[in-house]
Amino acid sequence: MTLLVDVPAHFDDRSFDQLAGGFARAIAEGGRLLFDAHATEWASPYGLVGLLAAGQAARAASRETPLLTAPTAPEVQSYWARAGFFAAAKDLFEIHGKVPRVKPAADSEVLLPVTAVRAADDVHEVVGRIQQRATAILSSELGIDPKATMGFAMALSEACQNIVEHAGTGGWVAVQSYHWRRRLARQVVVIAVADAGMGFRASLEPTQGRRFGDRWSDATALEAALVQGVSRFRDPGRGQGLKGIRNYLSRWDGKIAIRSGTARIAIAPSWDDDVPLAEGLPSFPGSQVLVIVPEQKARH
Amino acid sequence: MIRSIDVSAVLRQAVRATYADLVTRATGRAVREHIEQAYVAADLADVARMDFTGVRCIDYSCADEIVAKLLRGRIRVLVLRGCSEAHLEALGPVLEGHGLAALLERDDGTLDGLGPRATAEALLEELVTLRLAARSAGGVVALVAA
Repeated sequence: MTLLVDVPAHFDDRSFDQLAGGFARAIAEGGRLLFDAHATEWASPYGLVGLLAAGQAARAASRETPLLTAPTAPEVQSYWARAGFFAAAKDLFEIHGKVPRVKPAADSEVLLPVTAVRAADDVHEVVGRIQQRATAILSSELGIDPKATMGFAMALSEACQNIVEHAGTGGWVAVQSYHWRRRLARQVVVIAVADAGMGFRASLEPTQGRRFGDRWSDATALEAALVQGVSRFRDPGRGQGLKGIRNYLSRWDGKIAIRSGTARIAIAPSWDDDVPLAEGLPSFPGSQVLVIVPEQKARH
Repeated sequence: MIRSIDVSAVLRQAVRATYADLVTRATGRAVREHIEQAYVAADLADVARMDFTGVRCIDYSCADEIVAKLLRGRIRVLVLRGCSEAHLEALGPVLEGHGLAALLERDDGTLDGLGPRATAEALLEELVTLRLAARSAGGVVALVAA
């Protein structure tokens, strides 16, 4: 039996829960999953890496290669190819529909095409590549002090390391710069990181579950990690990564949101109306991280 | 004389790759262990100078694995040189988080504290007592040339 999972027409962190809902229902029924993106008109980096995580989870759950119908709009196909989505997706999905032969990262918007992160070497590769491209964009387009652009590489490194250190499986990262007309009317740089691994709750449960007792959940696990800087390791130096990302974002009026399991936590600046903590979301494995650095107001 | 550690060279030796960035815990662990082994082999003192010249980026995890763990273990007084503002963005919060301090060697050879003030002041005094550094009439502390 093939079960359909619709990919939203406008696919980003807000509409991700639609995909997660369809995914949760299909997994519960059992069978081969078909991710239908034929009508998708736009996808953010978060949507693209999230879809890869869904493919990873579908393979793990059913042991059958999931199907994916590619977007039919030529400009969307082209963008997904340039963003490196299809290059990563061919190992996870049986893809139906036209897949353009475009080399990833051929344009200035794609600072880092969808890139697999499995080990520390991959993080080195990501950090090395981003510094060549992002420094100029961050200072010239976002108005961030050139001396502070290294902080972006540090934040990216820490976001990727969450996969290496905690997921128990591989994941993906993508970095893009674009003009965010819909919500902010400013230029932004976005980091999206996703995996379908164990997620925050399972990662922290052995050391934190008892402390929280009945309150232990995906939401409390996310709060413990992002707000309290708790780590699954007892080493006192652990938990610095997310704290470091928060510090960097607070200085540049940026946003971080993390979805894991059935919850999503966000530390949002004044320009964003995201809720601090959402619970009872459709269950989706692993962790999905979104980091947004906006063009600085003074410059804007 | 203070033993100087060329972090960029240790990075190349420890991970056997041409990385210019000190990122990831695994890399930090490899670099720290390399430094610790060198110290054990040479039976060196617990005062060291760590030169970050040539290191492009250091993240929080790597700063924690190298600097914080060395200070919690083998090395008591650590002088950091060749640090950019970007390096200090990671090193400063990591030291603060542990309540640890190190000394920052400026281009002109003068030393500043990094981390909790009282702890850093004590480190400066220790270097002066050991005659590895001297305090000028104006109160500025600088390393003594070897």
